[in-house]
Amino acid sequence: MLRGPVLLLSLVVVVFSVLILTQAPARSASNTVSTNPSDIAAGAVLFEVHCQSCHGYQGKGGVVAGAPALVNVGAAAADFYLTTGRMPLNSPSNEALRHHPAFTDAQIQELDAYVNALPQITGQGTAGPTIPSPEPLCSVDQQKSPTSVDLATQDPGCVTLSEGQQLYAVNCAQCHQAAGSGGMLSGGNVIPTLHNSNLIQAYEAPLIGPKPMPIFSQLSHAQLSAIAQYVQYLKKPSNPGGFGISGFGPVAEGFFGILVGFVLLWFASRMIGNRG
Amino acid sequence: MSTTQERAAAQKRFALAKSGLDTVDERFASSKWLVSALDKIFPDHWSFMVGEIAMDSLIILIATGIYLALFYVPSSTDVVYAPTSGHVYLPLVGQHMSEAYQSVINLSFDVRFGLIMRQAHHWAALIFLAAVFFHMCRIFFTGAFRKPREINWIIGLALWQIVSLEGFTGYSLPDDLLSGTGIRVIYSIVQSIPLVGTWLAYALWGGRFPGSTFIPRLFVIHEFLFPLAIVGLLTAHLMILWHQKHTDFPGPGKTETNIRGSRVWPQYAMKAGGLMMLTASVTFLLAGFVQINPVWLYGPYTTYTVSAGSQPDWYLGWLDGSVRLWPHWEFRSFGHEIPNPFFPGLLIPSILFGIMFAWPWIDKWIYKDYGPHNLLDRPRDKPFRTGVGVAAGMFFTDLTLACATDLLANNLHVPFERLIEVLQYGVFVGPIAGFVVAYWTCLHLQRTDAHPIRRPVGGIIYRTASGGYHTVGDVHHDDHGHDDGHGDHGHGGPHSDTPGGQSPRHDAPTPEPVAGD
Repeated sequence: MLRGPVLLLSLVVVVFSVLILTQAPARSASNTVSTNPSDIAAGAVLFEVHCQSCHGYQGKGGVVAGAPALVNVGAAAADFYLTTGRMPLNSPSNEALRHHPAFTDAQIQELDAYVNALPQITGQGTAGPTIPSPEPLCSVDQQKSPTSVDLATQDPGCVTLSEGQQLYAVNCAQCHQAAGSGGMLSGGNVIPTLHNSNLIQAYEAPLIGPKPMPIFSQLSHAQLSAIAQYVQYLKKPSNPGGFGISGFGPVAEGFFGILVGFVLLWFASRMIGNRG
Repeated sequence: MSTTQERAAAQKRFALAKSGLDTVDERFASSKWLVSALDKIFPDHWSFMVGEIAMDSLIILIATGIYLALFYVPSSTDVVYAPTSGHVYLPLVGQHMSEAYQSVINLSFDVRFGLIMRQAHHWAALIFLAAVFFHMCRIFFTGAFRKPREINWIIGLALWQIVSLEGFTGYSLPDDLLSGTGIRVIYSIVQSIPLVGTWLAYALWGGRFPGSTFIPRLFVIHEFLFPLAIVGLLTAHLMILWHQKHTDFPGPGKTETNIRGSRVWPQYAMKAGGLMMLTASVTFLLAGFVQINPVWLYGPYTTYTVSAGSQPDWYLGWLDGSVRLWPHWEFRSFGHEIPNPFFPGLLIPSILFGIMFAWPWIDKWIYKDYGPHNLLDRPRDKPFRTGVGVAAGMFFTDLTLACATDLLANNLHVPFERLIEVLQYGVFVGPIAGFVVAYWTCLHLQRTDAHPIRRPVGGIIYRTASGGYHTVGDVHHDDHGHDDGHGDHGHGGPHSDTPGGQSPRHDAPTPEPVAGD
């Protein structure tokens, strides 16, 4: 009797297992930007095909209004925009929002290498920030007995969630919301949720300031690491109390309380009482 | 209820409880009162039970609130959150916070049943206000506030206000980022009161914001002052209801002087008891399965932090929305400025509440009807009142949506400013459109006697003096079908008259009964 459902369930389990196991592994931990000439050359080709029409020959800009020169932006900016799928844009007037990346990881690394090499190629200025290597989280025991270290000036070698929470509350929550759900700026500019970002992207964003977000140049390496680690924590926080309503906040809770809680009881009173 | 037969029936029903009643009589001599109380008739219509959801929620709120009060520490003293032997929430370790916030964190993570009690308390509050709101709408739209029940309407409105404020004080007690933001807004609104604002804010907060005296005071207000006021007013509300007896919808056998329905014991007690248990079930199911107000994610309040998406709970959203929609006007006269938040934060709600408190008398004046009423109006029979009610509802909805603009803009992908503009127009357009549509719908429903939602099945067939037939409220009109403009059969409204007495008007257009509007 149950053969059908069991078979179906097994099939689903098998399919999902295959999908999960064959998924591409997360990007390796090495965040160094390649200086290999062959990577730079491959990046140059990709750049000419996909980027040059707006950002100009060798990323010098000046082709399309709003498309900045890329000579001195550095690998972190290229990496952030490409891994989050914000670039390339269909049209320069579009808002750069998160999409599936247009390029493979290998292609992105080649483009990073090319953008990183642009100051040398063009002989203009120096390269901007390179792809960061965030500090790891301290062990749970270390986090439980915190030693006070000034993250603004010192680099303790590991960061705690508590430091991240405090820095996040001061620097990020007013736009991205306390739980990282995102929001809306004036002028229709979207503030994205942070729940799709990985550790490096969460570090890169305040480092390079993707428009309209400002560059948080006052934050040190350790502070940026702490924020990035806390943002990663927010994706799956220690969060008891049941199903967390997406978006968090009293509006979602109010909707739920009325539309589920009250409406259920309203139906109950309709069934208990007489009609008409 | 007073006939001998019914008396005998009552005695028979209470025969089993004879010894129990004797016990009461020997001590209090009040079994006669008890029997008549248990025999009291309550009408059966379902909509009368929704007010009981509010009462049941109040009981849940008191019960869970007592449990929470055992562990909550009403103190603004600065402490450092340190690991204890129990559960530790890592992202807060080593942080400065108020003792109040720390106690809520410990209550949520470390106290047995703490989190589910806190969540049940919060969900019950949201459901409580929804039930209060529905109850108030029922009273308004059916004219239950009319003489002799004007005083109970006023008590009910006062209850709504106090319950909303009680909700706000509860929202503010945890002293997390959201609470502090809310208190900060209220501080500014208090400050904006002309002439006395600054002094009043200093007096309430015991100094400048945030100060250290406000949390303990808030606790006393939330724990004693408002609950006592709510329980006291609710007792008066119910005693007056008991004394004046229930209203009821018009119907067969129902008159201004009788009540038809179920006796308190056993029928109505079973219904009410069942609803109470269901209310508790739904509240605790939500508390167990759906998270509410994760204060640990918001973090402790500091005056220099704020989170996007900070809103009050839904029932105060309209006040927040009012502040958001109000234009940036400033008024100066005699060297004094009336600060901007005064108008949307205090003046508009005061005007609104003023109209609501005065409505029983406004209603008398409009309908030139000063007599007592125990039978309710059908909303369609009083199109103007229904229109006003719908307009008020549209106004309330518009302001509530304005409170959620940041979330709406994000989810609808509409620029924030555009949404504010639309809702600013909506303050005027919404109520006017609501009034017109409601008024028109009422007239249409009067004509067709259709159910406002359900598609009519069958209908009532009248035979006219000339031998023709016509149906009322039926979609399947035949050639003889016509409408005499009124389909009311004995509902006692001002527009009712007996359809059979009309002479047939064959040339009258046959209105299509509307289903679905």
